[in-house]
Amino acid sequence: MSNKELTFQKIAIAIAFSPRCEAMIAEAKLLQQTFHSQLVFVHVGKKSLQEEQYLKHLIHRFNLDGATTKIIWEVGDPVETILQICQEHKIDLLVAGALEKEGIIKYFFGGISRQLSRKAKCSMLMLTEPKIHPTGFKHLVVEGTDHPKTEYTIAKAVEIARAFGSKSIDIIQESDENKLALIRSEEFKEKEADDHKEALHKEEDEKLKEILRCTDCGELIIKTERIEGKPGYVISKFSRDKEADLLILNSPDKPMNLLDRVFPHDIEYALSDLPCNLLIIHSKDSE
Amino acid sequence: MSVLSHSENISVILSLGLMLIAARLFGEFFRKLKMPLVVGELIAGVVLGPSLLGYFYPNISTIIFTQNEHAAIALSGIINISIIMLLFVAGMELNLSLIRQQGKAAFSTSVFGLIIPLAMGFAIGYFGYNLFGENSTDKIAFALFIGTSMAISALPVIARTLLDLNLFRTKVGSIIITAAMFNDLIGWILFSVIIGMLKGSAHHSLLFTLLYTIGYALIMLTAGRFFINKSMPWAEKNFSWPGGFLSLSLGLAFLGAAFTEYIGLHAIFGAFIIGISIGDSVHVTEKMKDNVSQFVTNIFAPLFFVSIGFKVNFLNHFDLQITLVVLILAIVGKISGAYLGAKLGGLSNKESLAIGFGLNARGAMEIILAILALQAKLIGEDLFVAIVIMAVVTSVLAGPMLNWLLKPKANTIETN
Repeated sequence: MSNKELTFQKIAIAIAFSPRCEAMIAEAKLLQQTFHSQLVFVHVGKKSLQEEQYLKHLIHRFNLDGATTKIIWEVGDPVETILQICQEHKIDLLVAGALEKEGIIKYFFGGISRQLSRKAKCSMLMLTEPKIHPTGFKHLVVEGTDHPKTEYTIAKAVEIARAFGSKSIDIIQESDENKLALIRSEEFKEKEADDHKEALHKEEDEKLKEILRCTDCGELIIKTERIEGKPGYVISKFSRDKEADLLILNSPDKPMNLLDRVFPHDIEYALSDLPCNLLIIHSKDSE
Repeated sequence: MSVLSHSENISVILSLGLMLIAARLFGEFFRKLKMPLVVGELIAGVVLGPSLLGYFYPNISTIIFTQNEHAAIALSGIINISIIMLLFVAGMELNLSLIRQQGKAAFSTSVFGLIIPLAMGFAIGYFGYNLFGENSTDKIAFALFIGTSMAISALPVIARTLLDLNLFRTKVGSIIITAAMFNDLIGWILFSVIIGMLKGSAHHSLLFTLLYTIGYALIMLTAGRFFINKSMPWAEKNFSWPGGFLSLSLGLAFLGAAFTEYIGLHAIFGAFIIGISIGDSVHVTEKMKDNVSQFVTNIFAPLFFVSIGFKVNFLNHFDLQITLVVLILAIVGKISGAYLGAKLGGLSNKESLAIGFGLNARGAMEIILAILALQAKLIGEDLFVAIVIMAVVTSVLAGPMLNWLLKPKANTIETN
């Protein structure tokens, strides 16, 4: 994997003129400094002189005006417009603010951030509590499920952790207990079932070890943990319990729709109640 | 309240003890021969029932099992509860999110693996009605049943076969599991409609049966599932756990079963859907499911499968023609449907054929379906025996066929 692939060269920040606008720009500044990225501020809505001046003022305040920063104002459907801009400008990372939890109606029919996270073709960072004086991400929890996308996600997570000076990251292997439950049918002796389960886990452990062996972790301490339960739910719960400040997950394999919210699985468990900031890594190789 | 007399009590308890021990002994013997446990349990019933013990030693058989009417009714009640619990556990094993997540190959396999055997079964059941012996005169319900019985798959048998062959985590394995789950879900919904048609025809029309079935499934799988999931942490905090889970989950299963029975559907459907709703909860761990599953599959499942041998004389009701028709229809329908679906999903010839044989295993679910149809007088005993034989043959065939088709290339099969 080349170094180029591991950086966020272009970061888009979805801006809404909410009370958190200033904090979002402060977070963008930190990301720009950390990854030496170009920033694209995107606002979908009618341009008003007051808002334009306010945004310019904030950008100036955070020393972001210059060649590496761009502002795009567009009119239209916020989700579709932002996605289109991301595609046109070859954005590597889309950043948006998000509430930890949305009301049931809004959740099912989709707030903007969550809709973006389900459809974006680039990586996406959802900030639950953007700060005016951001401190970066120190405690990262990363998905370590046996999946083709995981290698890229872990590589990216390691780079982010090192860039922010984190000391360690937690990689969580989630064991889908629904599949494991099938092993425990009446046809098996307990030891036989345990042996099968152990063999499946061992195979996954070996794959993860191989991924970590190939990843340049530097001084970073990698802690791996296996948790049995529903993928997406257990890692969210772990992040909340451990008070992580960034949860990093693989992007969904296909665009999520209403049915995925009615019958939630994987990332939808995290989206239904964000345990902390959420970074969804979109692996371009897996497209 | 009338109670069983001293001798009736002894008769019921003796029957239960003998059935459980015989089921275990025969089951383990057949397990050693690499056959599903259920085959041994069925044969235990055949040995203890009218086919053998009843035929050669009718006095002993009568004394032990059917000495008096009350004892037989009590035993029948226990068996009915067993079926409800079995379907509840089958529902818990279904994974809705796995079905939702399925990729193109799994989706086309699921759909074609369901529609082709269903359509073939319906067509042959309707137009070749006389081929199946004496059955219900409601030709549409009968043909629908034949179609449904051809469409269903046996998840535990398939899971075991895939694990034994080290194919559980391969792409082929995943497709087989997902498609089997999908087929079972739709299969049991269809069966519920058929039973509803038979039971409810006096009270409500087919349209209402359909509405009740779909309405119950939709409400329980959405709102019901949501409330069950939300109330689990509360129950865990306030009740002894996981003992509380055992009683609460089975309690809910019986309530669901009673409700569907009340609205004119079959009780098993209520328990099946409740099983899915509970099994899908993020708070239900593997260990909790295991507790319920072990309790049901090692006590109530053997009782049920042994009891089948008591109800039907397998030797008298074996009909070669019907058995061959059912066997050929089942194998051709399922394998061609699943093969076509897998091919359309981009799999190779061998992989597609292997998926067909994997899904072809009918196992215990098919037998439950058949016994319920027999009880509802939808099918006759000759056809029942043929379906049981088909379930056993297809389950036994699955392992060797998958092995033959995939094993030499197991290392090269794409892992999921």
